Amino acid sequence: MSAADAEFLGIFRDEANERLDSIVATLLAVERGGAGADAVDGLFRDAHTIKGAAGMLELDAVHALAHAVEDVLAAARDAGSLPTRLVPPLLAAADALRAQIERDEPVPAGLRAELDAAKASFAAGVVETVAEPAPEPAPVLVSVAAAEDRSIRVPAPKLDRLIELVGETVVHRQRLAHATAGIDAAERDALAGELDLGDRLLEALQEAALDTRTLPLQTLAGPLARAVRDAATAAGTDVELVVNGGEIELDRVVLEGLSDPLVHVLRNAVAHGIEPRAERLAAGKPSQGQIVVAAEQRGALVAVTVADDGRGVSRKVLAAVAPGSSLVDVLTRAGFSTNGGVSGLAGRGVGLDAVKASVEALRGELEIESAPGAGTVVTLLLPTTLALLDVLLVERGPHVFGLPLPSVQEAVAVTKTLMLTGTTAIELRGEPVPLADLADLVGGDAPPPPSSSPALVVSASGRRVAAVCDRLLGEEQVVVKDLGPLLRTTAGYLGAAILGNGRIALLLDPAALVRARRRDAARTSRAAPQTVTVPKLLVVEDSFTVRELQRSILEAAGYRVETARNGRDALERLKGDRSFSLVVTDVEMPELDGIELTRAIRAEPDLSSLPVIVVTTRGSEEDRARGFDAGADAYMTKQSYDQQALLGSVARLVAA
Amino acid sequence: VTGTQIRVRVADEQYALPVEHVLEIAELGDIAAVPGARETALGVRNVRGRLLPVFDLAPLLSLSRESPPSRLLIAEAGPHTAGFAVDEVCDVGLLDGKSQEAEHGLLAGSVLVEDGLVGLIDVPRLFAELEREGP
Repeated sequence: MSAADAEFLGIFRDEANERLDSIVATLLAVERGGAGADAVDGLFRDAHTIKGAAGMLELDAVHALAHAVEDVLAAARDAGSLPTRLVPPLLAAADALRAQIERDEPVPAGLRAELDAAKASFAAGVVETVAEPAPEPAPVLVSVAAAEDRSIRVPAPKLDRLIELVGETVVHRQRLAHATAGIDAAERDALAGELDLGDRLLEALQEAALDTRTLPLQTLAGPLARAVRDAATAAGTDVELVVNGGEIELDRVVLEGLSDPLVHVLRNAVAHGIEPRAERLAAGKPSQGQIVVAAEQRGALVAVTVADDGRGVSRKVLAAVAPGSSLVDVLTRAGFSTNGGVSGLAGRGVGLDAVKASVEALRGELEIESAPGAGTVVTLLLPTTLALLDVLLVERGPHVFGLPLPSVQEAVAVTKTLMLTGTTAIELRGEPVPLADLADLVGGDAPPPPSSSPALVVSASGRRVAAVCDRLLGEEQVVVKDLGPLLRTTAGYLGAAILGNGRIALLLDPAALVRARRRDAARTSRAAPQTVTVPKLLVVEDSFTVRELQRSILEAAGYRVETARNGRDALERLKGDRSFSLVVTDVEMPELDGIELTRAIRAEPDLSSLPVIVVTTRGSEEDRARGFDAGADAYMTKQSYDQQALLGSVARLVAA
Repeated sequence: VTGTQIRVRVADEQYALPVEHVLEIAELGDIAAVPGARETALGVRNVRGRLLPVFDLAPLLSLSRESPPSRLLIAEAGPHTAGFAVDEVCDVGLLDGKSQEAEHGLLAGSVLVEDGLVGLIDVPRLFAELEREGP
């Protein structure tokens, strides 16, 4: 594909997604009976636009499907209304269009026939009661004067570059402050006014630049409403979704990454939280369940909460929360266990592992609170922007470390320590907090800290650790720089920053720190400081569900997991990153299948010894032979899919 | 050997890198160590506002060192840029002589010159090795 084609395709994708968002929102309004009189016209226009653009780009499948949707809507327009029974097939078509456009997924079988039948039903004059438009229809599409609505599409990297430069300028301003600190007082006074003006301008520039990268949470409201509607229909419950704080702005990258985990949390809340009508009435609750999605600013973070008034987790689950761990730990761990002992969780934790991983990938955190019978509150804590970070700077030995300010609860002077089974803790307002040397937590060398050293109480993933350092250096706003591909294998850093005085601060990942403390405590005696390398595995699978399932099983067993959607994608990953310890691959995949992938791995000199496990639906001897012939180290079938066997093979091959 | 080479001393031995892979020669300067990184990584250095990973050439070439390095060679190949600590930059120029095979995996060959043997560093392979190595 030429660069120009790729660019057009990108633009088409953006536009089609906007149109599909509008289609879905309007269809949902039609279903509720709250759509305006011009709803069908709007739907028709959106479908027609998608069809036209797809035709120009020769996206035949998209074109054909959009055409079929357009036909149904044209018939509805002629008939004067859109019956609600046609909403589900049209929603399915909107989903299929999106899947086609985004991932080139084939149109589900039977959808075309459903649409054709829908169109035919108009001609046949199928009579049905039509939901009357609400007396005072709320306009779905607000038409704004063209001049105000004007927008320009800009490639995201250009905006990223702009924000990066603004960040650099902020850091430069700090350097200027350092430089002017030394000059004569009279001259400095003369400069003060100019510096102040510079500060104000810079602040305004920063705000304006960040504004180009952010979108209000409200943009997600459509897909969220859709997810709740679908889940509630499937569960046969009645649920109302309320979105508060939709105006809060989030980084586009964060917002895009937030969509999937949030939808997952909502589905969980509907499927496992909200009780059936009778059960709710018996418990003295309103028959309609309520889920409130709210966003609020918490320092440099935005907290997105999903609160349901359902049954909450059971007392048994709450009892499983050990001191020092959190409900998130229990739910993300138990969710994937096949151990019958925790089946009482009723799937409440299913998929939470994936949610947690996505949130952490955005440098955010997941928190869960639940009261039996009263409901569950899931909180996703997310940074508002990824480029600039407010950090607390500390010194430990020769190192300067920066910790994201929101993760530092407080700094305390360590005066008295508590010992238990060889691990140290301090008492903080009646609660023990594990204590560790910051140098040990990151695997660094440093002389013992002075006796009255401060400790930072760092909190992440619902756990805390008090990290001892030599001294606190203060707060600073820094630009996060990646450590780069050559140092990237080092775990535990968000990156590094160049400070106003030119020194480099390593930015610590709070989640890795609290994990390091647990690892440290797990070792009875501390051996020579060495970092634990967690083997990294590549899961190659075209089915999202199977892929996420395998990921969760392997991650629950302590491996780092990356995924690829087909053999070609996988091969590119493997060639670009030599730190994978093992590949688990499906056989039937588009582009390059698992057998071909295995063969390609064996043919690549640098990869030839990489262990490969082939997992497939096929169980025949012939296929097994084909797999081994290609060079697979182990072969398992999905029918006899058994976690222990998979984990056993992985452990054996990784250790070899 | 064709092309201009930058000849450096690492521990007691001499090596050469093709000039087209070398961006800059600088003082070693302040390097922030990165705890948990692999042994050959000295850390990161601030080069005019950019973060540069710095590696010690001695252990990469399987040499042990008696004294700390003092000079920095900033090299690039493909998408990668990194600093390599050396003891001394000897000269820049052509290397007369025929390239012989060398045993070490990071060398493209070796050349016999008046004052000894010079190892020819294969810069792209050096980066590939760094990218492949675990932490």
